[in-house]
Amino acid sequence: MNFFIKKLLIVIPTLYIAWTVVFVTLNIIPGDPVNLMLGGRPASDEVRENVRKNLGLDKPVFERYTSFLINATKGDLGKSYLTRQPVTTMIKENMMPTIELSIGGLIFGVFFGVFFGIFAGTKPNSMRDTFSMIIALCGISLPSFWIGMMLIYIFGTTLGWVPIVGDGFVSLILPSITVGLFFAGGMARLTRSSLVDVLNQDYIRTARSKGISKYRIVLRHSLRNAMIPPVTLLGIQFGLLITGAVITEEVFARPGLGQLLLQAILAKDIPLVQALVVYMTAVYIFLNLIVDFTYGIIDPRIRLERSRG
Amino acid sequence: MVEILNVSNLSTAFQSDYGSKQALKNISFKINEGEVLALVGESGSGKTVTSLSIMGLLPNNAYIQEGNINLIDKKNNQVNILKLTDEKHNLIRGNDISMVFQEPMTCLNPTMTIGDQIVEVILNHKKISKTKAVKEMIDLLGLVEIPDPTQRAREYPHQLSGGMRQRVMISIALACTPKLIIADEPTSALDVTIQAQLLQLLMKLKNSIVSKTSILFITHDLGIVRELADRVIVMYQGEIVEEGQVKEVFDNPEHSYTRNLIQSLPEFKLEERKLTKKDDNKQTKVDDNEIILKIENLFKEFPVEKGFFKESNETVKAVQNISLNVKKNEVLGLVGESGSGKSTLGKSIIKLLQPSRGQIYFNNENISEYSNKQMIKIRQQMQMIFQDPFASLNPRKNILDTLIEPILVHNLMKKNEAINYIKEIINDVGLPIESLRRFPHEFSGGQRQRIGIARALVLKPEFIVADEPVSALDVSIQAQVLNLLENLKKSYNLTMIFISHDLSVIEFFCDKVAVMYLGHIVEIAPVSKLFNSPKHSYTRALLSAVPKVKGKGKEKILIKGDIPSPINPPSGCVFRTRCPNPGIDCKGGNIEMGLIEVEPGHWVDQCCANCN
Repeated sequence: MNFFIKKLLIVIPTLYIAWTVVFVTLNIIPGDPVNLMLGGRPASDEVRENVRKNLGLDKPVFERYTSFLINATKGDLGKSYLTRQPVTTMIKENMMPTIELSIGGLIFGVFFGVFFGIFAGTKPNSMRDTFSMIIALCGISLPSFWIGMMLIYIFGTTLGWVPIVGDGFVSLILPSITVGLFFAGGMARLTRSSLVDVLNQDYIRTARSKGISKYRIVLRHSLRNAMIPPVTLLGIQFGLLITGAVITEEVFARPGLGQLLLQAILAKDIPLVQALVVYMTAVYIFLNLIVDFTYGIIDPRIRLERSRG
Repeated sequence: MVEILNVSNLSTAFQSDYGSKQALKNISFKINEGEVLALVGESGSGKTVTSLSIMGLLPNNAYIQEGNINLIDKKNNQVNILKLTDEKHNLIRGNDISMVFQEPMTCLNPTMTIGDQIVEVILNHKKISKTKAVKEMIDLLGLVEIPDPTQRAREYPHQLSGGMRQRVMISIALACTPKLIIADEPTSALDVTIQAQLLQLLMKLKNSIVSKTSILFITHDLGIVRELADRVIVMYQGEIVEEGQVKEVFDNPEHSYTRNLIQSLPEFKLEERKLTKKDDNKQTKVDDNEIILKIENLFKEFPVEKGFFKESNETVKAVQNISLNVKKNEVLGLVGESGSGKSTLGKSIIKLLQPSRGQIYFNNENISEYSNKQMIKIRQQMQMIFQDPFASLNPRKNILDTLIEPILVHNLMKKNEAINYIKEIINDVGLPIESLRRFPHEFSGGQRQRIGIARALVLKPEFIVADEPVSALDVSIQAQVLNLLENLKKSYNLTMIFISHDLSVIEFFCDKVAVMYLGHIVEIAPVSKLFNSPKHSYTRALLSAVPKVKGKGKEKILIKGDIPSPINPPSGCVFRTRCPNPGIDCKGGNIEMGLIEVEPGHWVDQCCANCN
């Protein structure tokens, strides 16, 4: 348990550093948020000054930095320059669609990734290996906007099987496949190579010497041992998804964190960008923790190291 | 005699990008019921391919060209194994024929408890309930003498020592009382003491519950063959060159290869050397007056990593209070089980590890507190030969680059001068000059170790620590490399510390021997004294554990269990927990460790010196 407390303690400094980096970068790069807000419309200096004051932009940089920090400790991450809404509310509103999409993509990706990984890895250098790996390569390399549009065209417009826009579970299918394909490609390749490696291990030869069926050898003896690298990838990719898949959201006209972040950066909406970055960093750390925890479930040797370390 | 397995005209080949390579050439042999048949030969001779062909476990790139393997199975039917489908073969594997593999560290599934791994094979072949299988599993663990079987069954392989894991492997092989057990170098990766325990266990089981089971014992160790087997088959380059009753083959080897194999054993080389020693004028004399290396009260302890905030107060006590002298031109052997601290001591001496306490004097210069920068100059004088010749060479550097680097680092010569000099050295270690342009993977194990030796010699050191330099090599290659070291020792005027777990190699090569146990030196003596009249019980046990071609029938002194953890060594005499005949004071841990001189030059730990 000590191990996880240790990990949790690292969260606070990490978030602080991420926060500061965003603040500094956004203040260094040129561009005035007030100008961006006005969107090129003419306004008197007085109005500008007023807006500036309202947003707290008239104060010196350092003071803004500290007051942000102080408010943050109270749980107030500030208000968006653009919409004047609290940033936490904005994140909350956009979080659910993103989580839905991520989980959809995750399920699709893991299922097909592991399936093709096993299919290929149990018979390396065979026809089915080549076939699976070509599919995996497509999943990784085809751009998601293209996949998204093709899916809409084939299943939405031509065949009419699924609605293109709308709410609910059904509307989630095509976007999930779009993000899941990328996911599945990576998973399949990694599961395959890891499985090939494990199947060459001495303990698999021992298992075969016991006269066990090949299905049991793959499912009981190999898969668990082969899962460490794919689980690592899973953590990273799920992190990418849950912080927003901009292009997929755009193609399917879904709200989401990816969209929100893009808009916030373009508008130089410092509080919103900061809040989003902090949220994403926290998600990454949390997912990493889950991945670490999963290692322990998969491999008892890692459990032992931990109780020592 | 009932024949249970008949291999006839078996040929197996490996397919690779460069064409196919014949691994077995038309071999035929049979195994009788209840017999122990040994299969000996060096690596690459086809021993393992034979066993894998029988098991049907050949790698994908291998195929059987022709031949038959007929087995009389448990139901007394004759089956040709090579004609079976994989599904049918599965009914035989683990049931009629089972196998014990070489590497106990990697042969068990790390993510399954050992209990599950044994139960699995029982349930796979016997139609019994799970509870009954679990009961059988516990019985099996007891049978292979694993203490506390119910508890152990729930543990994972990494929680067990190598010897214990190999016992688990044996219990898996025994589980269905097979007709034949194939044991492929089952003890080669283990210490002699553990090996002796396992061989004894195997013979005990063989004589009791599985008396009708035959054993095909694959080994490179002729001593084991002599002690264990009824019949022996000698293989060389995929062919059977000799076959016969063990005694006959050893007494009257017919094939020249068998003769060479027996002759290259260190125990035979030793006799030869004793004979030639008298008229060997070139033999360098140990200079009694000049002490090159002097170690006083050396300690090396590693902290055990503990929590994030907690400072650890536990340490691995790897080297404990060691004092010794090495004279000029002397070879000091360090011997002991793995975990005894030999390598740590070797590395601490040349300061690849910084010792925790104690003094090291090299040519009367106290180097124990020297920084890495100060050591650079000293390192020209002291070099190391490493155990694993492949892993210790950079795979991306050719041999010339590897060898020239130290010369350029120390700025000893210009580059073209250095190249000529290296050509001389590579010639000295018996390699052709063309090898300089090649990369480590292009060499065989023995050649790589020659490169490792050349690397150590390049700076013309006067002192070398050789850490198990021949342990990874086949017997005949081992003999060649030892001869080479012997010659180089003379021509380069070397003083050496020679670390080995192999007592016969030590006896062959060293002048003086220090026996280590749990970080302590328990006995140190000139080689002939130590081998002829060992005083410490541990030394005696080590000596008797070695399977010897000539020592068949001698009573073995077995020591129990595994070496204790160096984190919590026993108090007092560290050997008392495994001592075959501890005294009363000794048992209570009341006697401090410390060497006393029992005869001139022969030092023994006081606990054992008093006991006996």
